[in-house]
Parts: sequence; C-alpha cells; structure tokens
Amino acid sequence: MTPIIPYYTETRTLPNGLTVIVVQMPSDGLAAYWTIVRTGSRDEYEPDRTGFAHFFEHMMFRGTERFPSDVYNRVITTIGADANAYTTDDHTAYHLAMAAEDLEKVMELESDRFQNLSYAESAFQTEAGAVYGEYRKSRTEPEFALYEELVGTAFERHPYGHTTLGYERDIAIMPTLYEYSREFWRRYYRPENTVLFIAGDVTPPAVFALVDKYYGGWQRGYVAPQIPVEPEQTAERRVDVSYDGQTLPIVMIAYKLPVYDAADRTRVAADLFADLAFGETSEAYRRLVLDEQVVEDIDAGAAYNRDPGLLEIYARVKDPAKVDYVLGVIDETIATFRSAPPDAARLADLQRRLRYGFLMGLQTPDDVASRAAQFVALSGDLTGLDRLHATYAAVTPADVRTAAERYLVDERRTVGVLRSRQ
Amino acid sequence: MSRGVRIVATALAVLGTACTPPSPPPAVTEREEIPVVLLNVPADPTISFSLQFAVGSQNDPPGKEGLAYLTGDMLADAATEARSLDEILAALYPLAADYDIRVDLERSTLTGRVHRDNLDAYLELFTDAFLKPAFDEDDFERIRSDAINAIENTLRYSSDEELGKAGLHEAVFRGTRYAHLSWGTVAGLRSITLDDVRTFYRQHYTRANALLGVGGGFDQALVDRLAAAVKQLPAGARAAPPSIEPQPIDGRSVVLIDKPNADASISFGFPLDVRRGERDFYALWIANSWLGEHRNQSSHLFNVIRELRGLNYGDYSYIEEFPEGGERNMPPVNVPRRIQLFEVWIRTLPNEQAPFALRAALRELQLLVDEGMTAEEFELTRTFLKKYMLHFAETTDARLGYAIDDRFYGLDDEGHLARFRRMMDELTLEDVNAAMKRHWHYDNLKIAIVTGEAAQMRALLARGEPTPITYPTPKPAAILEEDRIIEAWPLNLAEERMTTVPVAETFEH
Repeated sequence: MTPIIPYYTETRTLPNGLTVIVVQMPSDGLAAYWTIVRTGSRDEYEPDRTGFAHFFEHMMFRGTERFPSDVYNRVITTIGADANAYTTDDHTAYHLAMAAEDLEKVMELESDRFQNLSYAESAFQTEAGAVYGEYRKSRTEPEFALYEELVGTAFERHPYGHTTLGYERDIAIMPTLYEYSREFWRRYYRPENTVLFIAGDVTPPAVFALVDKYYGGWQRGYVAPQIPVEPEQTAERRVDVSYDGQTLPIVMIAYKLPVYDAADRTRVAADLFADLAFGETSEAYRRLVLDEQVVEDIDAGAAYNRDPGLLEIYARVKDPAKVDYVLGVIDETIATFRSAPPDAARLADLQRRLRYGFLMGLQTPDDVASRAAQFVALSGDLTGLDRLHATYAAVTPADVRTAAERYLVDERRTVGVLRSRQ
Repeated sequence: MSRGVRIVATALAVLGTACTPPSPPPAVTEREEIPVVLLNVPADPTISFSLQFAVGSQNDPPGKEGLAYLTGDMLADAATEARSLDEILAALYPLAADYDIRVDLERSTLTGRVHRDNLDAYLELFTDAFLKPAFDEDDFERIRSDAINAIENTLRYSSDEELGKAGLHEAVFRGTRYAHLSWGTVAGLRSITLDDVRTFYRQHYTRANALLGVGGGFDQALVDRLAAAVKQLPAGARAAPPSIEPQPIDGRSVVLIDKPNADASISFGFPLDVRRGERDFYALWIANSWLGEHRNQSSHLFNVIRELRGLNYGDYSYIEEFPEGGERNMPPVNVPRRIQLFEVWIRTLPNEQAPFALRAALRELQLLVDEGMTAEEFELTRTFLKKYMLHFAETTDARLGYAIDDRFYGLDDEGHLARFRRMMDELTLEDVNAAMKRHWHYDNLKIAIVTGEAAQMRALLARGEPTPITYPTPKPAAILEEDRIIEAWPLNLAEERMTTVPVAETFEH
C-alpha cells in the first residue's frame, strides 16, 4: 500500500507497548510533538462521569512533583512552544508546535507528566471551574444545544450519547471526584494505550534513542473500559429542541452506521455518499442553497469512530415554515441515491479532491500530526490512514448506492429540529 | 523581464529561526503599474495567491454599511460572466481548491491556493472572480440574507464572547468609519441594492487600489499571466482613506448588552495609535504578551483569573486586531489597521463573578502600567516571543499574507517579522515600561459586558461596593488575601456613564 504521507516515516513499538511514529519532513527547524491517548468521552461509561475525559485533559497541565505546573509552564514559555490539547469521542491529544532543537527538553517534560502526574485536590477543584467556563461559552451556540439532544436521543446506552463536554449536572459535581481522577489516570494513561507522533526536522534514530531513554520505564497497566453495546435501533426517533435565543431553525439527522473499517468499501462509501448527496456540488445544495435559497447551509459527513457512529446531515433553514419541506428534500435526495448509483464522473472528482485536499493540508509538521491523529487513534498506527485513502480510491458508484441502501433507512435515524422558543 | 516590467530586487527579510535559519526565499516587488509581492518557495508543491484592494468597510457610504462586504462576497461567492456559482463550485471541487475574500476595515483581500498540478484549471476561475463578476440577482439576495442572519441570529444570539468584543469595538470607534462591523449593519445591509454593488466595484476594484501577491512553487510565466489579468482592471485612482479619529476617552464607561439568560462576557479597552514598524509597538507586544498572550498559559491574566481561581476558560489581551479569537491560535493576516484597539477579553463566566473578574483584570492592567514589568518577566517574555513567533507564519500563504501587510505598514524593506525578531534583541526593560506609560492607561477606557442581568449589574457596578466571590472549595490563604484587595478595587464607574442596549438592537444601525 502506498503511504499517503509523502515523507519518510518510521514506526516502532516499545516493549511496554508505546507506539512511536516519526515523520521526517523539511520544516525550517520546526517540529510537532503529539501524544495521542486512545481514550475519550467513549470511555465515560460509568454513571455521572460524562465529560470526565475532557476534564482530565485539563488536569494533565497541573504538573508533577519534578515539574510542578508553574515550572512546566515556564519551560514551555522559555522555548516558545505552542502547547495545547483537545478531547474527542475516541482520543485525547496533547500537542506542541516547537523548535526541533528543543525535542529532548520537551520529551523530558512530556514523558514525566504522563508517568508521574501529581496534583493537589485544591488544583483539581479549581480546574473544574475552568471546565464549567468552557461549557458556559459553548452552550450559547444553538448547534451545541441541538447536538447534545440529538446524540442523547440516538444512543440509548453507548457513551457516544453525550458530548465530550459532558452534561452540565456532571460538570457541576466534578470538584468532588479527585480520587476518581487518579483512578482514571491509572486506568487509561498507559503506554499501550498511547501513540507518540513526532514530525518535522527530526531523524528517526535520534528520536527513538530519546524515546527509549525517557519512556522506557513507563509501566503497562491499561484497563479496558466496560463500554456498553448500543442496542440495534429499530425505529425512527425524533427530538425537538426549543432554543432560548433567536436562531434560524436547525435540522440535524443522524443515521446509525456500522463500525468503521478502513478496508470496508461500503462503510467508507458512506462518507463519500454524504459529500456527493449534500456537499457544495450536490443537487441538494444547488436546489436548497443556491436556487430556492431556503437553507443558509447544508452539509453532511460520516464519523470515523472506534465504535459504531453516525452519519450526520445538517441544515440551517431560513424560513421556519420550510423545515418540513427541507426534511422532504433531504428524504428525496437519499431516495435518489438508494435507487441509482451516482454519476461516475462526480465520484471521480470527489476521489481526486480527497487526495489533493489531504496533500495540500500537510504544510507543517503540526498539520501532518493533526491530520493523522484521528486515524492513529482508531488503529494505533498509520496503516489505517493509508488503507482509508486506498479504499477512497477504490470506491465505485455501486458502493455508494449500496451504502445508501443499507444505512440511509428510516429505522436507523434520529431527526433533530431546533427552533427559537418565541 | 517580460513586458518590460521592472523588477526591483528588494529581498524581503524573512524571519530566521533560533535553531535552523531557513534560507530566505527571495521576495521581490514590481513597482510599475501593478505592485507585486513574490515569495518563491520552489519546494512548495502549492501556489498561494493574494490580490488585495485598498478598500474596506471604512469606505461604506453612510447608510450603506455592509456595501464593501457584499461587494467582496459577490466576487468570491457568486457567479462570474463565464460560469454560474454551481459551475464554479463543480470546477473547483476536484482541485480541492477554492478562493475566498476577507473584507476588513481597510483592505479587501482575495486569496486562494492550489496544487501546482491543478494550476491551469484554477487560474481562469481565480482571475474571472475579480475581473468578470456577474452580479447575479439571486446571488446578491442570498449573500445579503446570509449577512443579515449573521448579525441578527449568529452574532446576537450564538456567541456572547464575539458579541462582547464587537460591542467594545463599536463603542470605542463610535462616530468614525471604523465603528460598524465589517459585515455592516442590519439597516445598512437592507438598504443596499445590486446597483450599489456594481458602482462600488467599479469605483474601488481598480489597478490603483490593487496589490498582487504570489507565493510557493510558481514560475515567472504565472506572475506575468496574473499581472496581465490585474492590468485589465480599470486604472482608477486611489482616494485618501477617511479620517479615523476616535473620540478621546475621559474616564471609564460601560455598555451593557442586555441578553436574557446570558452569562457574563466582558471586553474592555481603548484605541491604540501605535502600529507595526514602530519601536513602541514591539515594546508593547512584549508587555502585552506577558499580560495576556492569546490562548496561552503564559498569560498573566489567564493565570490570575483562570489558573488560580477557576472563574472561566481564559483571559487575554491584544494590541492588534485578532478576529475569530475563539478559533485561531496565531495572529491573522490581512486585517491591517491605522488605529488599533487595546483590548482585554474576559471569557464567559457567571454573572455574580463578573464584577470580581473585571476588577481583577483592571487591577492587573494598572499594576503593570504603574509598576512595569520586572527584569525577570521581561527576559522570560522576550525569550518566549523569539521562538513563539516562528509559529506566526509557518506556511507559504501566511508568510505571503505578512508580506502583503508589510506594504500597508510601509515595511517593504525589513518586514514586520524580521523587525519583530530584531526588536526582541534590541529592546530593553526600560523601553517596554516607558512604552506602556506612553500608550496604555487604565483610567480612561470603555467596557462592554454581555449579561442576562443587565439592570442588577449596572446598579452594582455604579454603587462601587465590594463584590466578593465565594468558591465551592477551599482556597489557599494567599489567594483569599489577594481577593480582599481585588473585590474592593476601585471601579470608578458612574451610573450616567453606563448605557444598556437590548441585544435585539445591537448593530441595527
């Protein structure tokens, strides 16, 4: 299989299970240092623990005995790195954009906090306030309000039924969960659940030598989460949300997909269907956005999750009286794809777009790491990304139709509509 | 050189790095008819385009606020004479390329990027966008409707933080052509006709106003083709921009944006007459980075309000325009201004904690201006910036954007990023502390607060009484001791200097 990343790449797995991927690329002395923990809100399967993976991401900046947070921050400041982190359904990424010459200093800091995290209960409680603030700023967005309800309706048991921020009631009790936070760290922040991705002006042998030195002593101990299996959906679901502010009505429709498999042409074709049916060059876009101008925007995409996820269709409707009309056009569009394969030339255009779009997005080491992270989190290495792009290229119009026939059926879907309360 | 265009080989100094200085790509300017900024990076498989026009929302005729924005979008998001918009989208689709325009207060910049494999297919689409806009009536209605929705729904109701920042900007620049949003106002947008757009385009999208930029792995033939296209624009004449003289701020005043059920989002600041290139600008950058580096844990405000007290998600400060602050980490390009806004951004927090957070931020600003940075803080911050700035322009298109902006600021020879780096070595602690005293102040500023409790907040702020906060969990004695000082920090806010605006009336006119 041809590697999709056009730079020299080496992958190694340490005896303790830590996978290390090094991408050597010319980058004017810059490097990206990503630590990808294969734990996200998917792992929040216990009662009242929604949002905890994200909260824990914040705690990772609260220091160790050797490098307390003020010392850690001072070192990061001194080397002028751009350091941050984020949490998704399936993984949590800690990333630094930095000068390659600072690699060993950064590795000393990062390996220390992943192995020796230590924070006081007071710091833990203070950080809970910052997480609440993040929720406050997000909840003013109508899309967030609808999405929270949509996934909560679509999933009855699986943790994909809550957003990565978690429910407000669970955020409110976070300050009381210090002991649980230590347990969370012991269970999930382990080498066999982590991938180190380093890209830029670096050489693999030098990186691996440092990794042996700084991560070799990290102890295994990963405890797999007891994630409940989502029961098969058998009937369409619907959720209507009233929004306190003023907004255009928003429609989101979520279809249940089978588990993602980069080698499964039909499953991969679901994402291509989404773009062909509702993307900027689709008939639905031309009709609803450009010609009739009844929606401001329409888009769709299929999730790349570890467990069975969703294909989501989104539209902002300009006229509240036209919500049902827009839902009808979406249904008609899906019916068209179920009844006949898409035009082969359009599919070929999309396949070309996916390839060029990916390549054009690899401008910096941080770009490479951020584009790879999601797929590294799914498969634990880069092979999944290469496989996905090979499958993209192999998808046929018949595969797209098959995907629509199998997955785009009413009993697999949840329809969400948000409108202003007044 | 082809067509006798004289190439003046003015190498734009490009930032070097502390570690491995990159070989500075030659950037040259053509000075005949069409100024061109070239940033040749042969190893880059893509080509970046930039065509900037000296026109922005400051040129909106009174009553037609939003005209520059709509005109720009009618170029970048609408049909051309050769193709309908859906045909354009279909043509761009396999190229994974597009073009976009940023209409800011002073400049409108059309940018695009394409893989060199796809250059020929792309070039005609890009040049048609600015040479042959169709000014289609349906496109116009769609774009205008989207712009009105962006104010009436999205800005007013979807992001309190952006609303607060926009409210501050409007308050500081009220009475000038900087005051309204670059999108315009609701009333202005409603009054604009397609004929207005056609006229505005003819008047401002001219050779006299144009600045072309090309970056990446291009050759001279491409530059010639682009320059030839730009030369098809009418000659025009560059008009002097409108005078921007914000009213002097005497004391502190507050705009409360009354939004039912909202938490509090606060911004405060004042106009700043210091620009890129000036020595004091870089001195202020150091001070500002220490006070409130954007989305960085090195920010002192972040440390005081979030890290130690957990009141919100972040707290930052700015000496240059920084749009989309919630989404981007590094400074943007193509938003040059003659007058900047010094701005403190306190992210959303509970209403009952808002007066305390405001006091904490005002106090930190005052302490910094009065007492200055310490030698240790100064050294740490400039050490940080010397490397952190490497991330400002990691890509060809970002570097091209900086080079384009250098023309606005008259930094053709050295360039902002190179000067930035030099200044980090040259400036002294005394320079920084003196610059703050010259340009920053804490008694005369404007404050914008989005809140669901406007009446109570207004009364509380006017009374000036202490506004203590409580924590859900124990705090160290040192924090509580400092809290006693912060909660009673003088606000100096008089009732008659406060205005309350219902959210539904913001940015209407």
